[in-house]
Formats: sequence, C-alpha cells, structure tokens
Amino acid sequence: MAPDSKSKVLEMKGITKKFGDLSANNNVDFELFRGEIHGLLGENGAGKSTLMNVLYGLYQPTHGEIHVQGKREIIKSPLEAIDLGIGMVHQHFMLTQTHTVTENVLLGLKSKGFFLPFDSAEKKIMDLSKKYGLQVNPKAKIWQISVGEQQRVEIIKALYRDVDILILDEPTSVLSPQEVNSLFATLKSMVDQGLSIIFITHKLDEVMQVSDRVTVLRDGKVVGKVKTLDTNKEELANMMVGRPLITSFEKGSVEATKNILEIKNVRAKNDRNLIALKDISLDVKGGEILGIAGVDGNGQSELAEVLTGIRKTLGGKIILDGKDITKLSTQAIRNLGVAYTPEDRMNVGIILEYSVSENLVLDKFSSSPFSKGLFMNQSEIDKYAKKLVSDFGIRTPSINVPAKQLSGGNLQKIVLARELSSNPKLIIVHNPTNGLDVGAIEYVHQTLIENRKKGAAILLISTELEEILSLSDRITVLYEGELMGMVPRAEVDIEKMGLMMGGSKLDSNSQESKGERR
Amino acid sequence: MSLSFAKPTTRTIIRTLIPIGTALLAFVVTGFLLLAGGFDPLEAYGLLLKGSVGGVREVGETLVRTTSLLLTGLAVGFAFRCRVWNIGAEGQLYFGAIGAVVIALTVAGQIPVFGVIIAIIFAMIFGAGWAAIAGVLKSRLGVNEIIVTVMLNFIAILFVDFLVHGALKAPGFEPQSALIPLTSQLPILIEGTRLHAGFLVAIAAAVLIYLILFKTKTGFSLRATGVNPKASGYAGINVKRSILLTLLISGAVAGIAGACLVQGVNDRLLVGISPGYGFIAIIIALLGREHPLGITFVAIFFGALMSGANLMYQTMGIPVAIAETLQALVLIFALVGEFFARWKFKEAPK
Repeated sequence: MAPDSKSKVLEMKGITKKFGDLSANNNVDFELFRGEIHGLLGENGAGKSTLMNVLYGLYQPTHGEIHVQGKREIIKSPLEAIDLGIGMVHQHFMLTQTHTVTENVLLGLKSKGFFLPFDSAEKKIMDLSKKYGLQVNPKAKIWQISVGEQQRVEIIKALYRDVDILILDEPTSVLSPQEVNSLFATLKSMVDQGLSIIFITHKLDEVMQVSDRVTVLRDGKVVGKVKTLDTNKEELANMMVGRPLITSFEKGSVEATKNILEIKNVRAKNDRNLIALKDISLDVKGGEILGIAGVDGNGQSELAEVLTGIRKTLGGKIILDGKDITKLSTQAIRNLGVAYTPEDRMNVGIILEYSVSENLVLDKFSSSPFSKGLFMNQSEIDKYAKKLVSDFGIRTPSINVPAKQLSGGNLQKIVLARELSSNPKLIIVHNPTNGLDVGAIEYVHQTLIENRKKGAAILLISTELEEILSLSDRITVLYEGELMGMVPRAEVDIEKMGLMMGGSKLDSNSQESKGERR
Repeated sequence: MSLSFAKPTTRTIIRTLIPIGTALLAFVVTGFLLLAGGFDPLEAYGLLLKGSVGGVREVGETLVRTTSLLLTGLAVGFAFRCRVWNIGAEGQLYFGAIGAVVIALTVAGQIPVFGVIIAIIFAMIFGAGWAAIAGVLKSRLGVNEIIVTVMLNFIAILFVDFLVHGALKAPGFEPQSALIPLTSQLPILIEGTRLHAGFLVAIAAAVLIYLILFKTKTGFSLRATGVNPKASGYAGINVKRSILLTLLISGAVAGIAGACLVQGVNDRLLVGISPGYGFIAIIIALLGREHPLGITFVAIFFGALMSGANLMYQTMGIPVAIAETLQALVLIFALVGEFFARWKFKEAPK
C-alpha cells in the first residue's frame, strides 16, 4: 500500500489547544489519507485525546485549521463532525445498557415520521455487519452482550451514519487477545473498502501490527511521523518517551517462602446479586507474584473486594499468614498488613476532593503520629506526605492541592505510596497500570518487583497479558467466576493464555469446562 | 487530561461579590413586590434597617434571632458538609426544647449554676436522639434520610402540641408549660434587651463545629465518607458509623437551639416555639457554603431581616412573610450566581 499516492481526507494544520496556561496541543500538524490506518501514538497526557476531541468538535482549537476533504471546516459539535463524515468510538462506550443494539444505533438519529424505522434499520445493521465482518445481534440488549460485541455495536453506530473517517480511542484495552485479532481484521477490511481510520493507542505492538503510518505525540507536540514499514518498536518508544525503553527487566529470582495468603472455596455475589465467584481456591507465598489474568467482569473486582473485607463472602475461608480473616472488617484486615490498589483509582483509591496529603494518610490518619487525641497533627501529616511525594516521585504543585488536579499516573502513585509505605505482607493490585503512561508503568512494575524482593506476597489481577507474563511467577485466569487452572510462568505462552481466557481449564488432563453466560 | 488553574485572586473576588450582589438583587425584586402591594419600598427598607440595627434593643433582638438561626444553620450545614441531607433540624429543635423543659421542670431546676448547663445537655441528647432515628434507618437499612427527617419534623412539632395540651400543660387557659425555674434560665447579657447567654453558646458552637469538621480525625473521616463513601470504606473508615455520627452531632446542635428558645427566650415550652428556624437553616447552610464562618455571617444577616420585618409589620402593616420572601430570593439568586461564576471560569481562560 502506498498511502502517499492517495488523497488526503483530513488535514489538521497548526492545531494549538490551551487550557489556561497549559498547552495540551502545541502547533500539531496531522494528515490522514484515504484508505489508511493511522496510528496516533503517545503516552497518557501527550495530547492524543485532546487532538481528537478537537477534531470531533468537543473542543475548539485555540489556533489552527481543520480541512476535511480539502475544505476548511469549523467543527462546533460532534453532530457537525458526524455530518462531515467523522465518527468516533470512545474508550468508554456510549451505549444504554437496557436498550437493544438497534435502538442504540438509532439513538440520536433524526428520522422522518412518528415511528422509528426498526425494520429498515435492522436490515442496514445486518448489511454493515456482513460487509465488514462485524458480528452483532440487532435484537440483543446491550447488557446481555460481551464487551467485544459492544465495541462492534459502537463501530456500526458510526458506520450507520455513513462516516468515512473513524476514530478509535484505545480500542483494545477492553478486549481479549482473540477479540483484538478479530478487531484488527475488521479494521483492515474497512480500509480496503475506502474508509480511513485513526487508531489512538499507547501500545507499540498494536501500532506495528495494524497501522500504515504513525504520528507520535509527546507533551502536546508532534515528535515523529513515520511509515510503519520504515520503523520499529524501539524507535517508536524512543520518540514516545524521549528515551530508550526498558523492554525486559531482570526481576531476579526470589526464594518463595511460606504461604501468606490461602483462599479456600470462596464464593461471593456481585452488586447485582448474581454469583460472581464460584468456589475459588488459591494460595500465594511470600516473595511470589501470582498473576490472575482474564477479561474484566469475570469476578476480578469481587475477588479483590472479598480479600480486603469490603465484600462479604457466601462461604469459604480466607487465611492470612495463618489467621482466619474471612469475617474481619476492612480496617482490621489492613492492620494485619494487607495493601490493596483498586482498579478504579479515581473513585475507590482516591478521594478526588481531598488534598494529596490527606489522601496519603487516608488509611492511617487516626493513628499516631498523624493524630493526637481527637485532633489531627497537621505538621506530622505534611512531613510524611512530603517524604512520600519525593520518595515515590509524585508530580504535584504542592501537597495541599486537591487530588483531582493530578494526572492518572500520579494518582496511582499516591495510592501505591499510601499502600506500600507500611511494608505490607500481602499486596493486591488490580489493573495497576491501566491508563498510565510508559514511564509510570515501568515505575509500578519496579515497585512490585521490589516488594517481591522484600518478601511480600503479591496478587496481581490484570487484563494486560504482557504485564501478567512479565511479572508473574505463577499464572491463572479468572473466567466467569472460576479459576482456569494454575500454571508456572515457564509453562505458559500467549496462545495458552488465550485459551484459558476463553474458558478452557488448562492444568490437569486438559479437561474442558465452560461456564454458562452470566 | 489537562488542568486549568483558576487564578485564586479573581475567584476570591467573585466569590465575595456574589453574595453581596445577590442580596442587593433580592432587595430590588422584593421592592417591586412591596410596590405592587401598595407600600413604599424605601420607607419599608428604612424601617427594616431601623428595626434591626437602629438601637441597642434592636441589635439585641437581631442577635436573639441570630442565635436560633446560627445553631440550626450549623446543625444543617454540618450534616450537609458530610453529605448527609438532614432536613430535620426543626424537629430536632423541638425535641431539644422538650428535653430542656422536662429536665428544667424536674431535676435541673433544683441545681444552681449547673442547672442551666444540665438542661442544655439534655436538649442535646434529645435532639441527637430524634436525629438518631433517621441515622439508624439510613445506615442500617439505607432508608433515604431526607424523607425520614422531613416526616420526623411534623411528628416532633405535633408532639410538642400534644405535650403542652396535656402532660406538660400548666394551669390556665394557654396551651403552654409552666415557667422553668430561674436557676435553669439563660442569663440576659445586656440590660434592656432580650439577648441571652445562648448567643455565646451559639458562637462557641460555631467554633466547635469548625474544629470538629476541619481539625479532628472525626471530621476528617465524616467528610471523607460524605464525598466518597466507597474510597472511605476501602481505606478502613466505618461508613455506617460515620453516617450515624453525623446525624447525632447535627441533631445535638439543633437541640441546643431548642434549649435556647426554652431557657433564653420563652422560659417555657409552648405551641409553635420556633417560627421555622430549622427550615430557614437550610437556606443559611447553603448560602454559608456549609462552612461555620459563612453560616455565622448569613445567620446574622437573616436575624436582622427577621427582627427588622417586625417593625415593618408594626408600623406599615407589611406582612412578616416579606422577610421570608427576601430570604428565599437571596438563595435563588445565589444559586443562579453560582452557576454563572462557574460558567465564566470555564470559558474565560484563553
């Protein structure tokens, strides 16, 4: 493919977007050719989303021009963007759970007459579905279908509006490896038929695998524009981070000690009162990282919550260092040396309205030296917070600003700093690097490795396979509330993981079992 | 995402200008209402001023009103700050009044000096106890505290009716209790006024509420539970206990307001002992931005409105309800003003 010979469908010239004194985009030029998949690569906070929000009419640029199909346009709203043939699939889907696929596709469309044209809509959805290999059931309700299928609905929603430029924001973050492959196949077939795709990501492998050209952003500026064929991962990483990446690190061997955590036949329900954990048993030793892979929504959150006393068990036993903690309160479990960094750091890990220092003592503010009698000891808290901020490299204007002013990576550092500073015996981390930039990811991984060296037992729950594979000593997959076997790191590869994530039990006698759909 | 740091100077200026501007606007609109009613607004406002700050007696009257408004405003503001929507300060005030009168007529009346304090403590216990009903229902069963506290208001008000018509009725024609003994009455602060020591109690309560909210570990965890119960629970804070404790403290402070009306103003319990202080308190808490200092200023302002409105009524026959109209208008304009302030901040930085 030689995209250069084709016509430009989109050109953004000198885009600058300022928020106050901060430039999220600084003089960015971006071109998109007909029939290409264009990777937009950059760390979190590099300005990818801002640039695309400018294109999609959600923000107005401070300076700069947008040309669509050679014509200068001022795009004031997503509606106008769609009219110009620009569609966007957001990272977090914009679907109403209780409505059907067809209803969601029609939502927001103007239709003539009083009744919604369900039959013709369904037919058009099926046509699109066949044309691009996007399997969906138009009559299914959103809550009944898998995340992968929901994403296909989002894509169809855009295609239904006859877009010819499609923006995909971090589309693979919610998918299993198999689903990623089928998404990529779909994207290829879409560009073969003349669409142009902007693929926003921070994952180098995906850019190399699927894109034709790449634009790399760093600190709001374009730092590189290359054809994928002319580049490699190392070069891209260099551009993206501004320094060479530590691709594989030596985690060193640590002698695993005794069992720190033992879980025996634990069962629990989720918030919707359905069984989320069916008979989970596992153990984690000191100095060991146990990786639990699997797509979110298969009981991951519930497992973490049960272990930290936030969620009640229906049955089974949880033993921490020989002590039964099944019925203990969160406070009591924490006092026994359990640290937990939750998946949803914005809403569970952090109180956004509270200051950085207040968040750093959120679990220990009522004990000495942070409190004296009834009163809080502000000077001790500040001293401690300042130390953690420098130890963990938290970037913040001051320890007194509300946490909501910090970036996702720095929020995660706050949570890690708070949780790991008391030398816990057991560390439970859930998607610890989700949404973080490369630098922060490295940092989190190093921190976990260090704690493993110190002899902590670590339970790593993550949807990122790379992360599981590079950090774990043993690996299992949580699928529909069950563990799909338990295998040492040396005996797994990405292929086997994929099978387990699809619901095949992998250990003894390769006995296959499939749970029913939730 | 990127952040925009609003310059604190402009923000502070606008934040102080808004309440003043909204108050002026409320006066202008109320002026038109007065005109429509056939009154001269300037004359009326002159009386309002005279009736509220025109002399020692008037200032005293303003501060008497302020005492009730400040205590109930603090009660509501404290709960709101912890994101517990206690709409029941009026009911808790009435129960506080019951507690004060019952103990004053029985035990505390016999004890010199400490009798006053004992009666106030009983009022706090009664107020807290009444609020505890909503607290237990909310924390144990998840029952909406707004509905419960609103309903408990009516029960409390009518229960006082029932008491002063029955068990607590003093001999005579009026439905009211007997006078409480002098030993449990709050002393008058300034000769020739009705200003009683309850005002000092209210100021002390404001300081105390400030300390609890922002300096103690209790306040830290209560506020944390309010803004983010999930994160608080995960950090080991007992969320259910926090909700209950918030309502207990809130109810206790509202209870003091009841005690002040019994021990400082009326010296007895009677029907309609509060003209709705606990409801006006909601406006005060919101206008005061759920902060003891803000609540104190607004309570003084509203106290002046209420005492000034009395003179407008006595001299010109203007219904006292006009003061309530003014108060409500101030809140409405303040809410609108708030919206515009935020809206401007988002668009302005270029």
